[in-house]
Amino acid sequence: MIGILKGMATTMKHALDGKTFTVEYPDVAPEVSPRFRGVHKFSQERCIWCRQCENVCPNDTIQIVMDDKRNGEQYNLHIGQCIYCRLCEEVCPVDAILLTQNFEFTADTKDEFVYNKEQLKNVPWYKGIDPLNSRNPDRDAWIGEGEGEIDYE
Amino acid sequence: MTGGDVVLQTTNATNATGAGVSRPPSAPLADSIAGMLGLDGVVGAVVGGLIGAFLIANVMLTTTAIAGPWAKRKITASFTDRIAVNRVGPFGLLIIVADSVRLLSKELIVPDGVDRPAWDLAPIVITFSALIGFAVIPFGSGLQLADPETGVVFVFAAASIASVGVVMAGYASNNKYSLLGGLRAIASNIAYEIPLIVTAASVVIFAGTLQMSEIVAVQRQPLVTVAGVTIPQWFAIVNPFAFALFTLANLAEIGRNPFDLPEAPTEIVAGFQTEYSSVYFVLLYLGEFIHIFLGGAIAATLFLGGPAGPVLPGFVWFYVKMWAFFLFTQWARSAVPRLRIDQFLDAGWKGMLVLSFANLALTAILVGVIV
Amino acid sequence: MSLEEPGPDADAAAVARAADEMEALVGEHVRSRDDHLNAPGYVVRPDAVQDVLGTLREEANLDHLSCVTAQEYEDRYESIYHLKSYDDPTHEASVVVPTPKDDPRSESAAPVFRTADWHEREAYDLVGVEYEDHPDLRRILLPETWQGHPLSLDYDQERPQIVPLREHANPLEDDQEGDEGETMYLNIGPHHPATHGVLHLKTTLDGEQVIDVDPDIGYLHRCEEQLCQKSTYRYQIMPYPDRWDYISAGLLNEWAYARAIEDMADIEVPEYAQVIRTMGAELCRIAAHMLAVGTFALDVYGDFTAIFMYAVRDREKVQNILEDLTGQRLMFNYFRLGGVVWDLPDPREEFFESIRDFLDHLPGSLEEYHDLISANEILQVRTVDTGVLPPEVAKSYGATGPVARGSGVDYDLRRDDPYGYYDELDWDVVTEDGMDNYSRLLVRLREVEESAKIIEQCVDLLEDWPTDDRTIQSNVPRTIRPDDDTEVYRAVEAAKGELGIYMRSDGTEQPARFKIRSPCFSNLQTLPEMSNGEYIPDLVASLGSLDIVLGEVDR
Ligand code: SF4
Ligand code: SF4
Repeated sequence: MIGILKGMATTMKHALDGKTFTVEYPDVAPEVSPRFRGVHKFSQERCIWCRQCENVCPNDTIQIVMDDKRNGEQYNLHIGQCIYCRLCEEVCPVDAILLTQNFEFTADTKDEFVYNKEQLKNVPWYKGIDPLNSRNPDRDAWIGEGEGEIDYE
Repeated sequence: MTGGDVVLQTTNATNATGAGVSRPPSAPLADSIAGMLGLDGVVGAVVGGLIGAFLIANVMLTTTAIAGPWAKRKITASFTDRIAVNRVGPFGLLIIVADSVRLLSKELIVPDGVDRPAWDLAPIVITFSALIGFAVIPFGSGLQLADPETGVVFVFAAASIASVGVVMAGYASNNKYSLLGGLRAIASNIAYEIPLIVTAASVVIFAGTLQMSEIVAVQRQPLVTVAGVTIPQWFAIVNPFAFALFTLANLAEIGRNPFDLPEAPTEIVAGFQTEYSSVYFVLLYLGEFIHIFLGGAIAATLFLGGPAGPVLPGFVWFYVKMWAFFLFTQWARSAVPRLRIDQFLDAGWKGMLVLSFANLALTAILVGVIV
Repeated sequence: MSLEEPGPDADAAAVARAADEMEALVGEHVRSRDDHLNAPGYVVRPDAVQDVLGTLREEANLDHLSCVTAQEYEDRYESIYHLKSYDDPTHEASVVVPTPKDDPRSESAAPVFRTADWHEREAYDLVGVEYEDHPDLRRILLPETWQGHPLSLDYDQERPQIVPLREHANPLEDDQEGDEGETMYLNIGPHHPATHGVLHLKTTLDGEQVIDVDPDIGYLHRCEEQLCQKSTYRYQIMPYPDRWDYISAGLLNEWAYARAIEDMADIEVPEYAQVIRTMGAELCRIAAHMLAVGTFALDVYGDFTAIFMYAVRDREKVQNILEDLTGQRLMFNYFRLGGVVWDLPDPREEFFESIRDFLDHLPGSLEEYHDLISANEILQVRTVDTGVLPPEVAKSYGATGPVARGSGVDYDLRRDDPYGYYDELDWDVVTEDGMDNYSRLLVRLREVEESAKIIEQCVDLLEDWPTDDRTIQSNVPRTIRPDDDTEVYRAVEAAKGELGIYMRSDGTEQPARFKIRSPCFSNLQTLPEMSNGEYIPDLVASLGSLDIVLGEVDR
């Protein structure tokens, strides 16, 4: 009996202290960590069309089309199929593909999730955060690059 | 409609017997309405009864409409540190409208092989059995539809018709989970209705009457006066043990935690209501909530002095007491585990039954000695 | 080929001696040796399986059949029985049973180890080895009507598979025992509030009592093994372990793969990374146990219980920390071969602060759980002495993790087969002797405390770690091609128990065989043992206390 009463007292305590932990999304945009991995952003200016991202991607999410002179023509990424593992960003030698913190994406059909390079370029930063800063340490360890100003827009 | 008939009959019965001099202080609602309209005799009884029934039923349906889609969510949410409905309307209140529209506009799925008349009738039986029970509940401030001399018996009889509805639903659904739920409902109702009524009988022995208004009146007498504050003779204060027993048995009767076995969502999906959708589901849902409130109303009348209370009008007090009971059921839900069916029946037959008879015997002896 | 961990010579010699002794025990059956990185392997004839396994179990104390791997070579089929000892998991042996291509028949191990029942069914289902003397050899993950065996070499992936309507026929027809109608057949699941995923329990009831329950799994089969076989060791496999046990136990799973491949390819992991791994893994364990406790409460209490929400709230705090660390809330992909991908987030003080904050509040939350759950008399009535799993039965079914420890089996790979930084830290293995649902619950709650202890020590270590020695990854080449025909079976203590990976290399950068030993798979097998004769609510409670994740059962 004591145990039952203790349990009931606990829930009542929670009811009375009035604290809630609900995030009122979408009225309040949730905090996401700077490392959070969301939709990709692509910069054609930086890309050297080395195809490493395409090769590393575990589930063929990235599709690159090049002409016969090895100039990039298309860069398609199926953000609905992507598992957000960030391997593409990790192997990219020039930070041309980056994962933003943007997790809000919707579409009517699955096909609309196939983003081409223009759409990938226009993916907005979430709350204006450029995640590259927070990821810098690992960049040094991995690629030894990533310093300097990068203009994505 | 079954509801109307029964109410009508009881009203007639009251008219026949209650016309004498010893009229209870709160006149049955039907009579007062008839009086107001200046009608007399049979016409007055019929019209008064119908309007009264309409009033009471509407009050209760509104209450459940608030309780079901809104209050329950809010209460559960506050126990679990959440906010719950707050999107539509002030405090999310318009969710009631939204939810009713949503539920009613859903497709009514009739599964293959259901036992048609029984399956259709079950939700109606469950809902209306609870509504009929309110016919004899003295809400206070003169709001009592009928006040037969056998009020206590009537209210329990009416409330337990719901078991029939549950069994109908469980059996007719052609679903094994429903069947299990129905069987559990029978087992639990048999096991817990006896202690429930026997405990209520101890109150009847105290009060010396089966008439609801009389029981309320008896409780109005002072028990003791401590420092100028008069504590009334509420049976919950006179015999807290009986009140505890009654509350437990009541929880089982209305199928709430820790006794919500007929539904037991994590075990048998939704028990007897598994196959119901749309309007029928709404009816079942309503029925369930009206039952909770009926349970609260009975407890308030028998043990908590009915509409008695300071300052505010009686009706408000009664309403508050009903809601308090509802709150209690939700509170229990948040923290009390469900018993297993065999333990539940054991507790009923070996624990509650013995205790309730002991309580009855003790009360009888005490009352015999004192009086 | 080296045996066991490459240690000092004396150790290696001792191990080799032990292996020879074992070989002497079953000498007459051993045709040759096919040693794996982790254990000596004895090649035996297909008709001597029961003999060999029985002898090894009795004489060499190898009482834990942790996994059965089947695979097809160009010239033969092979079943490998990975044996261990519950007392000392580093005492291992593999029994390799080759069977010819044209007649892949082999003796079943089910009479010796009951856990072999399901493992061999899976081997039959996916690879196509047939086991004689098996109590019930039918498909387990794929539908009964599936054509071909997907992991066999000649399997045609393009071929359409048709699952006819009779697969959905009323299962009542041939399952009703006897004509008297004494029993009732009930399908619990695949969609049922208490199955924690898509699990189908074929239950035979007598009234409310369970006479027989037969778990039907495979609804969530996603070919994880094949996916890994088609991915490169270096990068592509690592994201997938997160998706086996997706109840926030991601880092624990990643560690299983990391451990296996690091052994196979001889990759060093810097100490600093090991500490980070240990800390992250234990955070995951807390998160996973929180959900286990919460859902178990949901099963016993009903839908409206507050405990679930409280547990989820505490789990949420862990997930926030993990998000800061790994960049994702569930699918972390944080480990890399030879380390982790990121150092602790900057500013470090803030990060440590958030962990300490969480740890400070944890005892309070746990006290609430105890008030709400373990101290509750009704819960005790419900869970004590229900779902009883005696230790001997648990061992025979290869149960591990909290399920085994709740039955008093003192088996925890973190201590017994140390990896990471665990052996440097001060913590205890939690066991309870009750053998019932209540003990399993208590084990989880107490393990949360132990994990908190580990995390605290890790945080202390990391705070004082010299700035110039923070190597998060060793230097690992961009492509990894382990030597041809290297075989390894390595396991770690995941949230639900022993999560093992068997890998065979064929000289390319993708594994030739990738086998996942899922703890839930083995643990779920004990369900009939626990619930036959009990009531439906206890069946549900037992299922909850097993804490299975269908993603890991079906893979
Ligand atoms: S995040 Fe992973 S899955 Fe997505 S595109 Fe990059 S590599 Fe492919
Ligand atoms: S790895 Fe980077 S540079 Fe190379 S193709 Fe991909 S995005 Fe372009």
